[in-house]
Parts: sequence; C-alpha cells; structure tokens
Amino acid sequence: MFGKTKQERRDEKAEMLNANRRKFKLTAGDIIFNTINYTVFGLFTLLCIFPFYYIFINTISDNMMVSRGLINFYPEGIHINNYIAILQLREIGNALLVTFGRAVLGTAVMVVASSFIAYLMTKDVMWGKKFWYRFTIITMYFNAGLIPWFLTMMMLGLTNTFTAYIIPGLVAPFNIILVKTYIESIPAELEESAHIDGAGMMTIFWKLIWPLSKPILATIAIFGAVSHWNSFIDSLILMNNAPELHTLQHRLYVYLNRSSNLAAMMQSGGGNTQASAALAGVTNVRVINYTISMVTVLPILVVYPYMQRHFVKGIMLGAVKG
Amino acid sequence: MKQSLASRSIYIVLRLLIVLSVAMMFFPAINPARLTERINRNMSLFTSAIAYNSLIAELGRELNRGWVNETNFVILFISSMIICLGICLACVCGCLSVGNMKCKKRGNLFGLIGGATQAVGLAGILFAYLQMNASESDFDRLSPALTNGFFLYCAISATLIVGSLIQMLLLRNEEKEAVFEIEAKYRVFLMFLPFAALLFIFSYLPLWGWRAAFVEYQAGKPITMDDFVGFRWFVFLVNDPGTQRDIVRVLQNTLAMSALGLSTSWVAMAFAIFLVEIRNGPFRRFVQTLTTIPNFISWVMVYAIAFAIFSTDGFVNSLLAAMGSLDGPGRNYLMGDNAIWIKMLGWGMWKGLGWSAIIYIAAIAGIDQQLYEAATVDGAGRFQKMWHITLPGLMSTFFVLLLLSIAGILNNGMDQYFVFENATNTQRITVLDLYIYQRGIENGLISISTMVGMLKSLISVTLLFAANKASKWIRGESII
Repeated sequence: MFGKTKQERRDEKAEMLNANRRKFKLTAGDIIFNTINYTVFGLFTLLCIFPFYYIFINTISDNMMVSRGLINFYPEGIHINNYIAILQLREIGNALLVTFGRAVLGTAVMVVASSFIAYLMTKDVMWGKKFWYRFTIITMYFNAGLIPWFLTMMMLGLTNTFTAYIIPGLVAPFNIILVKTYIESIPAELEESAHIDGAGMMTIFWKLIWPLSKPILATIAIFGAVSHWNSFIDSLILMNNAPELHTLQHRLYVYLNRSSNLAAMMQSGGGNTQASAALAGVTNVRVINYTISMVTVLPILVVYPYMQRHFVKGIMLGAVKG
Repeated sequence: MKQSLASRSIYIVLRLLIVLSVAMMFFPAINPARLTERINRNMSLFTSAIAYNSLIAELGRELNRGWVNETNFVILFISSMIICLGICLACVCGCLSVGNMKCKKRGNLFGLIGGATQAVGLAGILFAYLQMNASESDFDRLSPALTNGFFLYCAISATLIVGSLIQMLLLRNEEKEAVFEIEAKYRVFLMFLPFAALLFIFSYLPLWGWRAAFVEYQAGKPITMDDFVGFRWFVFLVNDPGTQRDIVRVLQNTLAMSALGLSTSWVAMAFAIFLVEIRNGPFRRFVQTLTTIPNFISWVMVYAIAFAIFSTDGFVNSLLAAMGSLDGPGRNYLMGDNAIWIKMLGWGMWKGLGWSAIIYIAAIAGIDQQLYEAATVDGAGRFQKMWHITLPGLMSTFFVLLLLSIAGILNNGMDQYFVFENATNTQRITVLDLYIYQRGIENGLISISTMVGMLKSLISVTLLFAANKASKWIRGESII
C-alpha cells in the first residue's frame, strides 16, 4: 500500500513493452493502426473539452460579437465584465455561498462520520457487527424511492432548511466500504502496539488510523465535494419555499430554462442597482447563460488536476467488494 | 458481576421501551403534542420540539386576531422539547445499562430522571389541553383532544420510572467498581448506535412512506386507516386506459434507453484496450485526463453545454452561418423527439466513456506482461494479442459491470432526462424515474407515484438478487 501507485506501475510496464517493441521495425500495418488510433482518440478528446473552451471564449469576448455568433474558435475583444456583473447578482452570489457552504460542511462531516463508521466496522468485537454492516451497506442497493423520501423529509421538518443538505449524506455506504478496505490493509500490529501503550479507541482513531488513511480520505473527500457541488435534485425537490437555499446547479437550470425573458427580469431588479447598471451592457441572454455556466463549472476544472491523482485509486478500491 | 434474572429481564424491557420511544419521536401519527386538528398532520414529536413555526403554521389568522391563546402553543412547544430531553436522558440510561455495576447504578439514576422529565413534559401537554378546553370559543374551533401518543408516552414514562426504581432496589446491595467501564463489544456498538439511528431515519423510515400507495392521499393530511383503499391504485394503474398508455410508453422509453446503454457497454472496454495501445505516454495521459472531465460535471452543466452547442444560436448554427450554408434562422437541435434515445445515449457516452474506461485500464495493468511477451515470441500480431490476451483478461470485470447494469435496468436516474426534457420531446424521453417525479412532485399525485416507485424498487431489488445469484452460479463469486 505504500509502494508505487498504479499509474507508476502501469507506466513502467508500458516502458518495458516499448523497449520490447523497439526491437522490431514498425510495419506498414502498425503505422496505419497508429494513425487511426491517435486520430480517433485525439478527436474524442477534442470533443470532450472543446465545449468548455467554446463557452469560456464566449464569456470573455466582446459581447456584440458574441451575440452575432462570430466567436467560434478564438476570443476577440477580451474583457471580464461579464463575470463581474454576474457575481454581483444577489441570486448567483447567494447560490454560490450555499453551494460552497454545503460542499465544505457536508464533505467535512461526511468524511469524519463515514471514516469513523468504517473504523468501527473493522472491529470484530462489535456486538452484531455482521448485521450492522449489512444494515449499512444494503441502503446502497435499495431505497424506498423519491416520493417516500420526500414525504419523510417533510415529516422530519427538513424541507426548506440548510440541514437537509448536510445530515442525510452523513453516512455514505460506498465511502464506508472504501475506507474500511483501506483500514484493513493497515498492519494490525500498529494498532495493537498503540493499544498496549494505553491508547483508547478514540485516540487510536484520531492519532493513528486517521493520519495513515489520508490518501483514501482525500479520495472520498473529493468525491463528496464534487457530488455536493453538482447536487441539484435535492435543491429542486426540498427547497420549494426557500429560494435563498437553491444551489448553483439549480439556479443554472432555472436560468437556462427561462433564458428568453432573462434579460428583462434582470433589469427589473434581480439584483442591486450597481449590478443592474453593470448588466445594462450585457443584454445578450446567451452571454449570461454562458457566464453562469462557467462560474458553475470552473471550480471543478480548477480542482480537477488534484482530483485526478486520487480517483483512480478510489475506483479501484471500489471494485473490491466490501 | 452476577445479575439476577429479574434485573436482566427488566433491563431488556427498559431498553426496548427506550428504542421504541426514540422511534416514536418520528412518527406524526402518535405525536402527543398534536392536541388539535389545526396542527399540521405531518408534525412528529421531534418536529414539534424543534420547529415552533411549523407548529403554529396553520393557525396564523387565529393567532393574529387573538382568537387563540398563543401561550398554549408555546407550552406545547416547550413540553415537546422537555419530552425529547427526557427521551435523551433515557437513552443514556439504556447505554449505561450494558456497562459494569457502576455504570448501571448511574444509568438507573438517568432512567429515573428521564422518566420524570418525560412526565413533566406530558404534564405540560395536559395543562395546555385543559387550558384550550377551558377557553374554547366559537371562533377558534380547536376542538382539542388527547392523542393515543399521549397515553403511550405516559405508559412509557411510568414504566421507566418504576423500572428504574426496581433496578435501584435490586442492585442496592451490589458491589460498585471504582471506574465506569463497558465491555468492548458493547462500547463499539454504542459508538455506532447514533449512526445506526441516522441510517434508520433516512434510509429505512422512508419505507414507512410506502403506505401512501395504499391510501387515498391528501396533501397535508396524515395517513390513517380511514383512507385505506387497498390495491385500488394498483388496479387503477393496470386498468385505467390513460395511465396504462402512460406506463407502457414510459416503460418503452426506460427499457429502450437501458438496452441501448447495455448494448454499448463494451465501448468503454474497447476504449481502454485501444488507449493502452498508444505508446506515447504523455499523449495517453493527456487523453485519459481530459476525457474524464465530463464525468465530474453535473447533468445541468451538460445541458448548458448542449445549449451552447446545439441551440438556435449555438456553435453549430453560428458555424453554419459563418460558412454561409445556413439560410434563415438556425435550427434548435434540442427540440423535437427525433432520435432522442440515440441522442441521450450520445450524451451519456460523452459524459461517462472516459470514466468507465478507467476501471478497464487498471484491469489491463493487472494482466501478466509475460503473457504478451510469450505471445510476441510465438509471433502473435497486435490484434491477436488484444483478442486472445487482453480481452479474456477483462471479461470478469466486464461481466460484473454488465450484471450490475442489468440489475439497474429500471434505474436510469432522472437528472439527465429531467434537464433535456421539453414539451416537444417529453413523449419519448420520460423514463420511469422522471415519470415518478412528474406525477408525484409536479402533479401532486402522491399515491400513484408511490405505487409506481414501490413496484420499481421491488423489481430492481429482485433483479439485483437474481444477478447476484447468476454471478455466484457462473463465476462462483457474488457481486454485492
């Protein structure tokens, strides 16, 4: 577990294979194969990232040119006024705050709770351990459905409250499996020696297990944060009477849906006067949609390089059943 | 440490009662604080104790005009809080009862105090009830009545007090240890207990909501036996021509889109196999990194992208206009139900292909390289090696994922279809999950959508177990 990462090992193997390959001359068939292979993958990659690029250049280009559909491949007349204007809109600023808040808070409590449960689940002495583990994991495969869930949330008085974003996600069965598998791979002797030295369960968890499990905790934290950032259905269904609690994705959806009468609405006081003044130049609905989309997706793109290091490990551990 | 049989059996009763009283906190039908019909029927004792505003939500007018004395409701609110506090104290008693003698003795004290606290709360409710009864005027029509829950809690509180007292007497002569200690097996369990409660509330309690499928549900009313209609909604689902047509259409969409997904599930495997054929490391990582990005954005964002590319003045149309091959206004490719199943499959693949390939790439890395070397020596070509070494090496992974997606054939999720749905394509895009949302949340047909959801859950779980059985039978290994 402390050895090379999968990526490194894979690279090594590829290098070895390469060395083998170099002994042989490339045949015509190889060249044709490689050309096709590289082209297909290149095109698919382009397909995956071009939309982001397209939206981005349209948000920073001259708005007049954007509205005439002239910005297709490269930006022109670069400015950042659209972003300034959008971030001054109270609705968007608020949604950003709510989404950011739930991502941070929700992820933090989820990581602590789920890793603690995972730790408890590695203790064979636990009374009825097998039953309680099943009790936890089965919720991953089976749920009552959308409407009963909604009725229950209503019954608990969690509709239209921020708590509804945090508490239900506290116990995440899939993450529990991930962390449990990881903790089981930590040599048991470490824990035993700590126990002999007089450390209690809590001390062992915080001082020993927690630091040693950092890689997997980072993985579940990232997955958790991304899913919080992307969450939309709970905001849509639970926050009917609390528009101030709508998440960014929900806002984006609403904006996309009513984009036709958006400009009018914004000028008639969707935000403060300063924002309205700033928006006076941004009459193009497309630009507004694009800018909100970019604000929504940018955090993901920014943390993505960091995430990338972790998720391969995560998904591979996930393949190991609990 | 030896305990008498009596003491042990009393503890079992007490613990059961405590668990029961905690669970009862969340059921609105037995809320002792719901003295009048005018209190929202969805209020459980727990909600009454934390949300005063919801407690008086339906009495706004009466309170404003002074027809109803608000003090009574404040008393109700505080009493609910006190009862909840009492239940918490009783929980402490239950937890300590699995410990050593010192724990037990302290626990009995908690049980006594908890029971007494509950009694105080109940007295408060009784007081509010009497007040309401005394001051009833023609205007308010509160018609207060004590609920079953009130008497249930009275019984629990009394049993708690009596039980704790008996325990105190029974354990009076037992030797007390110097420190509090609980056996390891119970200690670990007690640490898990709060989370078990959370799981119960958010994952198991909704199952109780299934009863909405068997009653005539009315918004804001609780479900009682009076509304019980048996399998009427099921019969309605099967017999009503309109609903029948809906269900058939929705099932068609669901199964068609799932089938399309299933029949293209090999693409991710092919993606992985061909990707590792790329010998240029940096380019390979570049492709892998960038094709995974779409997996991490939400479906709303995917829709925003679709909007930017395919809407009336999106990328495609501006490109066509720039090339001069567009006369008149552009076409909105997101409208209409032309080949909508294929389009949805396309978006699904755009979002998920790079991500699903990762697991296969990792599996390829796990294949023994000596196999390839031996094959090379024997003169196997590139495609022969792919076919005879890589592919068989990936089959077990592919098989597991395929079984899981067969089990999830009814669960397409609603996000994707919800964002892409519009008036022109709703006929062909509505899948089961989206249908449940539309009927239940948008149209407020709670009963029928619960029925549909319940059948869906039951079929899905049956499929999952079948898939698991099949996996055990074929591979000798289970998948869940």
